[in-house]
Amino acid sequence: MKALLKKSASLILTLGIVSSLAACSSGSSGGAQGESDGKIKLTLWDQSVGNTDPSAKLLPEIVEKWNSEHPDIQVERTGTTGEQYKTKVKTSIAAGEAPDLFYGMGGGSFMQPYIKSGNVLEISSYLTDDIKERMGPGMAEAINMDGKIYTLPVYTHIANLYVNTELFEQAGAKIPTTYNELLDAVTKLKAAEITPAVIGEKDRWPGMYWYDIIAMRQAGNAAVMEAFKDPSKWDSPDFVAAATKMQQLAQAGAFNSSMFSMSYDEMLGAFNAGNGAMMFQANWVNAGIGDPSSAVKGKVKVIPFPVFEDGKGTNNEIFGGAADGFYINQNTKHPKEAVEFLMYLSEQLGTQGFLAGAGLPSWKTDALDTSSLSSLDLSAADIMKTATSFIAWWDNILPAESAEAHKNLIAQLLAGDVTPEEFCKQMAQLKPTELSL
Amino acid sequence: MNSVFSNKGTIAVFVLPTLLLFCGIVLIPIFVSSYYSLLDWNGVGRGKFIGLDNYVEMFKDTRVLNSIKNSLLFAGASVFIQLPISLVLALILASNVKGEGFYRTVYFIPVLISTVVIAQLWSKIYNADYGLLNVLLQSIGLSSLAQDWLGQKDTALAASFIPTLWQYVGYHMLLMYAGAKSVSQDVLEAARMDGASRIRTAWSIMIPLMKPILKVSLVFSVIGAFKVFDLIYVLTGGGPFYTTEVPSTLMYATIFDTFRYGYGSAISVFIIVECLVCTILINSLFKTE
Repeated sequence: MKALLKKSASLILTLGIVSSLAACSSGSSGGAQGESDGKIKLTLWDQSVGNTDPSAKLLPEIVEKWNSEHPDIQVERTGTTGEQYKTKVKTSIAAGEAPDLFYGMGGGSFMQPYIKSGNVLEISSYLTDDIKERMGPGMAEAINMDGKIYTLPVYTHIANLYVNTELFEQAGAKIPTTYNELLDAVTKLKAAEITPAVIGEKDRWPGMYWYDIIAMRQAGNAAVMEAFKDPSKWDSPDFVAAATKMQQLAQAGAFNSSMFSMSYDEMLGAFNAGNGAMMFQANWVNAGIGDPSSAVKGKVKVIPFPVFEDGKGTNNEIFGGAADGFYINQNTKHPKEAVEFLMYLSEQLGTQGFLAGAGLPSWKTDALDTSSLSSLDLSAADIMKTATSFIAWWDNILPAESAEAHKNLIAQLLAGDVTPEEFCKQMAQLKPTELSL
Repeated sequence: MNSVFSNKGTIAVFVLPTLLLFCGIVLIPIFVSSYYSLLDWNGVGRGKFIGLDNYVEMFKDTRVLNSIKNSLLFAGASVFIQLPISLVLALILASNVKGEGFYRTVYFIPVLISTVVIAQLWSKIYNADYGLLNVLLQSIGLSSLAQDWLGQKDTALAASFIPTLWQYVGYHMLLMYAGAKSVSQDVLEAARMDGASRIRTAWSIMIPLMKPILKVSLVFSVIGAFKVFDLIYVLTGGGPFYTTEVPSTLMYATIFDTFRYGYGSAISVFIIVECLVCTILINSLFKTE
C-alpha cells in the first residue's frame, strides 16, 4: 500500500512538471502563428478602450466587418489603456514579440527608435497613387519620413482653447482673443472665485501644452522649428518672453492651485464638472465634454489660443496636426495582407471616427454627411482648415530624454522655481530633434 | 511516509519545479539585468558595451542620490514608526482583549486590498479641492492648515509615506501577534505570580522571546521600503519635482520614459544589492548573542 502510494505520488509529480513545461513552451508568441487551415491570422494591438472614446466602439466593429468580408484573413484585436499600452508595446518590441499590427502615437520620438532599428515594416512600395489621393491634403507629406512611409494616417488632433461660456458670463469676462484679454479674463474669473484654467500637472504634459502654445504664439512656428534643430536658439529673447508670460499667468493665479497633484484624467473631470473656465487640450477631449454625463455639455466653445500683441505667431499656426496611425511589425509573416488590412482600417476608422467625433479627418470627407457632428468637432475642423503650419506635440518631436527634461522644466517654471532666463538656458541644453521637420 | 521524505530523489522531485521556476523568473532576470546595466542601450536595436559607466554616472546623478535618500528615509520611518505601532498593537491584541478576532481582521484588511486601490483612496483623502483631510481640518477650525498635500514639495514625501506605513501595519501586527501567541503560557503565568506588571512582562519577557519574528518583520519592512513602487507611482508618480522619487520609480521612468534600458538596469541592480546588503546586515546584527 505504502509503495503504491509512493509510486503514484512521484508519478503525479512528474506528470505535473512535464505538463507545466509543455504549457510554457506552447505559449503564444504574439506574432503570426503557423496556420494549419490555410487561414491567415493577423494580430492587432490598440489603445482604444476608454468609455467616452468613440474609437473604442468603432474599432471592434470595423475589425468584425473585415473578418466577415475576408474569411481568409482573420484579424484578432487586443485593446489596452493609455500608459500601460505604451509600456506593453515597448517591451514586446524589445522582446521580439510584437503583434502584426500595432497603434503608434503620432509619428515622432515614440516610433523613431523602432523605425531606426528596423522593427517597423516600410510600406512605401505598397502605396498606390489612388490611396494617396484619398487622403486629406498634406497627409501624404505628414507620414513621409525621409522619403519612406511606415504608416497611414487615421485621425488628426489639434490643440485648442476650451472655454466654458457659462462661467465666463458669470464672471463678466470676455472670451480672450489676445494675451492681454486673457490676463484680464483671469483677473475677472479670479475675482468671481472661479478657477480660470485647469492643468493636470501631475502628468506634466498638460502643462507642457500651455508653454508650447505660448512659445509658438510668441516666437512663431518657424522659429520654433529652427530651435528644434538647433537647441541653442531656445535661449533667445522670444523664448524668454514666452517663459515670462507663462510664469506671469501662473503668478496671476490662472491655474488651479492643486495642479501638481492633479492628473490628466482628474483635469478632464474637473473641467467637465464645471470647475474650471478654461482648458487647453487637443480635440480628443471633445467626446468627453459632449458626453451626457458632462455638466458642461453645450456650454463649451472651442477657440484658437489667443494671439499676442507683441508676438510673431498668428492664430493660423496650429499646435498639433500629428497623425496617429497603425504600424506593421517588420517580422510579420504576411506583409501583403497586413498592408491591405492597414489601408482598410486606417481609412474606415479615419472617416467613421471623424463622424463619431473621435478626431479630425486625415482622409477626404467631401462625400460624408457631417450633420451629426457636435459643434465642438465642427469648430475644431474649421480651425484646422485655416492652418498655415502645424507643429505636433513637443514631447513627441524632442528625443525622449530631452522631452522629459522639457516637461520637468515647465513644471519648475509653473512653480516659480526657475526664472525665465534660467529656463531658457536649460532648454538650450536639450538635444536636437532627430526628425525632419 | 518518513521514508518518502528521506529519499533524495523524492526531495528533488518536490524541490525541482519551484527551483526551476525561481531560476526562470528571479535568478536569470537578475543576471540579464546585470548584463544590461553594462550597456548603453535604448531597448531596441543593439546596445553598446560601456563597462561600469552607468554606475559611475549613477553615483554622480543628483536625481539618483535623492531617490536613494528618500528610500532610506522611508526605511527609517518603517522601522521607527511602523514597527513600534505594529508591536504595540500585537501585544495588546495578544493579551486576551475582547473581540480579538474582530480587531485582527480589521487591522489586516488594508493588507488585502490592492495597493493601487489604497493609493486611489488616499489620493482622494489628500485631494486639495475636496479631500477628506482638508474638509476635516476646515470643520475643526484649522482651515489655515488645509493644503495641497501631494502637490507641494514640503508635504508630498511625508504624505506619500503615510499610506504605505498604514497599509502594512496590519501585516506586521499579524506576524508579531503570532509570535506573541507562541510565547508559552507557563512563562507568562510565572511572571504574573511574581507580580510583574503588564508593561514589564511585555518588555522583559514577550519582546525578547519574540526576537526571531521581530527579525523577520524588520527584514520585510526594510526591504519593502527599498523596493516600494506601486503606491508612490500611483499617488505622485515621483513628483512634484522628484521630491517623492524612490529608486524603483526612477528606474521605471528611466527605462520607459527616456528609453535608457542600460541606465535603468543599473538602478535595478543597485536596488537588489541594497536589499541583499541590508538583509545580511540585519541577520548578523541579530546573531550576536
